[in-house]
Amino acid sequence: MAGPKTGTMEEIRALQGKKAEESMQIDRHMIRLLCDCIGDHSPRWKDTAPPAMIITAMVSGGAMSLGIPIPYKRSVAAGADWDFFKPIKAGDTLYTTHEFYEVQDKSSEKGPRALMVYKSTHKNQNGELVAISTNTIMSY
Amino acid sequence: MGQQLFYEDVTEGADLPVMEKQPTTQTLVRWAGASGDYFELHYDKDFAQSMGFPGPIVHGRLEAAFLSQMLTDWIGDKGELRRLSVQYRGNAFPGQTLKLGGKVIRKYQEGGENLVECQVWVENPEGKQITPGTAVVALPSKS
Repeated sequence: MAGPKTGTMEEIRALQGKKAEESMQIDRHMIRLLCDCIGDHSPRWKDTAPPAMIITAMVSGGAMSLGIPIPYKRSVAAGADWDFFKPIKAGDTLYTTHEFYEVQDKSSEKGPRALMVYKSTHKNQNGELVAISTNTIMSY
Repeated sequence: MGQQLFYEDVTEGADLPVMEKQPTTQTLVRWAGASGDYFELHYDKDFAQSMGFPGPIVHGRLEAAFLSQMLTDWIGDKGELRRLSVQYRGNAFPGQTLKLGGKVIRKYQEGGENLVECQVWVENPEGKQITPGTAVVALPSKS
């Protein structure tokens, strides 16, 4: 998210629907680092990753990999949704499709403002849907 | 390991068990490494101040991860977190004690699952809900 370029609303609208794909193998070490960081020491998370794995930017932060410009100088994370369908196990490979879904013009008398919405679909190596995530960034 | 929560145990309007977290600057660096978010706003004081913040701020996704832990601790090993939705409405700073909480909004059955919808939030030391949201969990039944 550091230093995104700016573009006009027209240029950004033209990028709606742009997709990027990436894959990542999840291993026990990644699960342990994550659990140690958040302080979740449940024995449940040894071979199974906690939902927080999907929450991480490396998995569901599609805004970074798509390189979409922002309409205004500043941006901030506004919100995010995660739907969890299937647990991730150590050894799974996640195949994620990130999509720049839409830009919404929210400008008002308070000033220019826009919401950038990204959607990511996460499947495992068997083609099973693991999670869907939505990430909203406000540019102002 | 927490006690197993069953669908029959849940009452609409009930509070979720409160969880407290005190992320430090080291927590933020560890989260950067574990989550792949290296935005300087979360570890570089000069950078954060250049953006108008008094110092590095806690990652919103780390707060969401804390909320997911609060929920999975509450529902037990046989429960499943189905959905988490958050809005980022304020900032937390390293060293602050954050209070995570929630309340059951409704319980319902759908698609063969016993589901419970909750309000959830992260509250800063001033008592402001900086990261409110909603969650849906699936619980086993005693029957």
